[in-house]
Amino acid sequence: MLIGLDVGGTYTDAVLIDHGEVIEKIKIPTKPDGLLDSLLSALDPLLQAARGREIQRIVLSTTLITNMIATNTVDPVALVLIPGPGLNPSSYKFKATQSYILSGAIDYRGREIEPLKENEIKACLETIKKEGIKRVAIVGKFSQRNNSHEQAVGSYFASHAPEFQIIMGHQVTGRLNFPRRAVTTLLTLATQEKFENFYKQVLQVLKERGITAPLYILKADGGTLPFSQSLTKPVETIFSGPAASTLGVLALTPKGQTSVVLDIGGTTTDLALILSGKPLLASRGAKINNDYTQVRAFATKSVALGGDSILRVNNNSLEILPQREGPAYCLGGPQPTPTDAMRVAGLTEIGDERRAFECMKRLGASLNLSPKDTADLVLKQMVKKIAQEIDDMFLSWEQEPAYRIWEILQKQKIRPQNVVGIGGAAPAVLSLLGEEMGCHVLAPPHAEVANAIGAALAKVNLRLSFHFDTERNFYFIEENGVQEKLPFPIMSEDQAKDFCFARLRQEGQKLGISTDEELELVYSEVFNMVRGWRTTGKLYDICVQFPTGIMENWLEERKDQSAE
Amino acid sequence: MPNKTGLVFFPAFDWAISPTHPEREERLLYTRDQLFEEGIMDLPEVVEYKPRLATYKDIARVHFCVPDIKAQVTEAHLIAAGGTLVLADALMKKEIDNGFALVRPPGHHSMRVVHGNRGFCNIHNEAIMIEYLRKHYGLKKIAIVDTDVHHGDGTQDVYWHDPDVLFISFHQDGRTLYPGSGFADELGGPTAFGTTINIPLLPHTTDEGIHYILDNLVLPILEEFQPDLIVNSAGQDNHYTDPLANMRFTAHGYALLNDKLKPNLAVLEGGYAIETALPYVNTGIILAMAGLDYSCVREPDYSPENFKESPERMDYIKDLIAYLHEVWKNRETLAEQRQRRTGGYYERRRTVYYDTDNIREQQEEKVKLCAKCPGYQVIRSRGLYPTRAERTVLAVALPWQACPECQEEARDVYQETINNPKGLDFVYLQDKPRDTYLQYSVSERSEMQF
Repeated sequence: MLIGLDVGGTYTDAVLIDHGEVIEKIKIPTKPDGLLDSLLSALDPLLQAARGREIQRIVLSTTLITNMIATNTVDPVALVLIPGPGLNPSSYKFKATQSYILSGAIDYRGREIEPLKENEIKACLETIKKEGIKRVAIVGKFSQRNNSHEQAVGSYFASHAPEFQIIMGHQVTGRLNFPRRAVTTLLTLATQEKFENFYKQVLQVLKERGITAPLYILKADGGTLPFSQSLTKPVETIFSGPAASTLGVLALTPKGQTSVVLDIGGTTTDLALILSGKPLLASRGAKINNDYTQVRAFATKSVALGGDSILRVNNNSLEILPQREGPAYCLGGPQPTPTDAMRVAGLTEIGDERRAFECMKRLGASLNLSPKDTADLVLKQMVKKIAQEIDDMFLSWEQEPAYRIWEILQKQKIRPQNVVGIGGAAPAVLSLLGEEMGCHVLAPPHAEVANAIGAALAKVNLRLSFHFDTERNFYFIEENGVQEKLPFPIMSEDQAKDFCFARLRQEGQKLGISTDEELELVYSEVFNMVRGWRTTGKLYDICVQFPTGIMENWLEERKDQSAE
Repeated sequence: MPNKTGLVFFPAFDWAISPTHPEREERLLYTRDQLFEEGIMDLPEVVEYKPRLATYKDIARVHFCVPDIKAQVTEAHLIAAGGTLVLADALMKKEIDNGFALVRPPGHHSMRVVHGNRGFCNIHNEAIMIEYLRKHYGLKKIAIVDTDVHHGDGTQDVYWHDPDVLFISFHQDGRTLYPGSGFADELGGPTAFGTTINIPLLPHTTDEGIHYILDNLVLPILEEFQPDLIVNSAGQDNHYTDPLANMRFTAHGYALLNDKLKPNLAVLEGGYAIETALPYVNTGIILAMAGLDYSCVREPDYSPENFKESPERMDYIKDLIAYLHEVWKNRETLAEQRQRRTGGYYERRRTVYYDTDNIREQQEEKVKLCAKCPGYQVIRSRGLYPTRAERTVLAVALPWQACPECQEEARDVYQETINNPKGLDFVYLQDKPRDTYLQYSVSERSEMQF
């Protein structure tokens, strides 16, 4: 049996799944300031429903990190940068408690081009001590190609201030982008301790309930990790809620299709895309609290338009305002809203019909429209706006830059086959939207807890991006900061790929990924290095992964059921 | 509102002239690493655009391709040229304040007639962009400043007879470097005299010398010309580490140049110090165009005192500036004298060498001298290929500014030629007033139209 739990901002959802079947589902309002309480209130009924049968794993998704960052309750961190040539480092506006800039530089090939200055390091340490900060993030430009500067500063600090918690940029992420690496490293260290404390509490309450099933944490890229492994990079668990929903839709819709995932709430409509069965990722990483990071996350879009958005008539035209002032008029709120329009159009039975008519009548008066026509106009406008936003999302995906001829030629215009509503999405609006966009409307069973289903069924994923420099005889792994001499000469692309796959299996085993899981080559590129008309080496960029997805046996067992 | 700089980055990581050629996959690899690591694309001042494919019509607006466009361009060429068009559109729609097309393959050695690749170029990205802008957005007066170390002989050829395009190229002296042209007395055809300015520089000229020229010659002339658009034909091989040339310009020098020049659009040309120059030069140019501080962009071994001018080179530069100012000041009188000297038609003969493809081209060019417009041109070109095969073509070029009489006459020349195409393989008409481009194949007796 599997348990999936998503403690979201508004609702906490949970499911118990057994052999492709949802045994129990829970949806309760999340208690403000009570993540653990909310979690337990959803978990306990599931445990009852399980009636002592074995639980294989519990997957959790919470807003813990989001809340910490939003309320600025992250821990103070000093940021030490080694930027080298480029942008003027004084223009960086990182949200660190204190920032310091050191001399020293590494280039794109990982060669030292300017040494560190020991007196600067010493002075920097003194200042940090004086400020009383105990956590230090050290981030250098191109540290993923040569971490010796980060290491040197780190070990100096560690030996002179053993009480410091130190993190280095190359340990967190090796993707090219120094400012994003700095932000991601900063957030990692600033959230580590509180994240660990929270989940230790979770482990404790599970233990009290006699649960021995392993605890997994869902990440923003839709993969899950054993709890102990998630401790090193807790910031990766931000935005796991939307990821859970998207995975849920993946689990509840036919395999390999292109779908829009749509969650129409009170204030916003949240969108995500699944392209030919693969959730779309934010290309360079998530934006957190207005800062760009390298946290891999699904590309989601939040449109300020929901069931409670305020309606008004201005200059003889109907407007849907991007804000909420309370519940719908038919539910006792102050203003007419799309929810009232749905009531009048006969698409729902929520709220007081008389009040809904009353506000539509008032709204339509200056337009010379009957309440019914006014309601239709509201819905038409709402649907048009959502369709436009979806179209824009596909457009910006098409417009993502590409650096190779084949990529530019290959990218086709794709439009969705399905619109899938989750959460509280009104089926009524969905069918209008499906008509507008010319695609199927899917409202699969259990869609209201799709997020919890997604969490329950998420696979452990793992991606490793290798960079080989055969001239320098080095290889690098972006995700875990490995920088090592090549153990043997790499002579061909195939040999390099084999090396990557072997390493992926090895790392996968540490996470408990079974050896017969499917491996995937994400990309492979080779560059000849030519110096003076002779080939002196090769650069390989190879990325391999255990892909994000949902457990296969769910799909199979579910198919069996539908066959019956 | 911050300055918005549009960027098309198309390094063509899957295209090379040949595996060890300087124009190979690896060329912008370290530039990519530097730009990406710098986080350039995330800056609020930078908007990255995806290139599109240029159409054959976009190309036919500039070139006469022999035997046809398809034979001369690969997909990489279409994307590089198309990248410039994306930025041109964004600029005209005011989405950006300026733009840099960091694309390859380059184009500034491509002339109007194209028999093959010369100087690593097949088609002329900037010219395709400029003619597109003139057609679709009605721009008229354009200034192109060529900052590549090699003379932009393709650009010079395309705009030799166009009085509304000011072409200024500074480069290493043609006696010491490919393509062996670009001397100070090359000043434009009789109908556009003085709107081609060549500034040949002695080898080892430094930041100081180049900026002296910029401040005392290039910028004042631009100011007087008042162009609708300034284009930087942005080669990076004046750099002191470039393996194919001998100048001593730096990343800071390039950034400062763009800061002063303020090009509306810049398009990458040459530059083959792929590790020691390009990552720094490109970062510097982008920051400068975006109005950001570029003072921390420097090569590992950079120190400003190494880039001061010698007194001899400085004397040479001052002398050259004085001469070119004199020509610029008197360009109208000088143009009139030339027109009188040559009468109804101006003719020139020349040989063009295609280094990459080892082709020799013989050209005879006739320009109609018209009192009302810059006239039209008839080019007869014979390409002698390494296989000993050869092709002869006749191309009629009818510019935007042509008067009705010249338009009619030029179209008649084309018609008469295809009626009697003796000795020719292809006949072309580049009819810019109608934005129609014709190519007639003599052996197939068929006409293609773009």
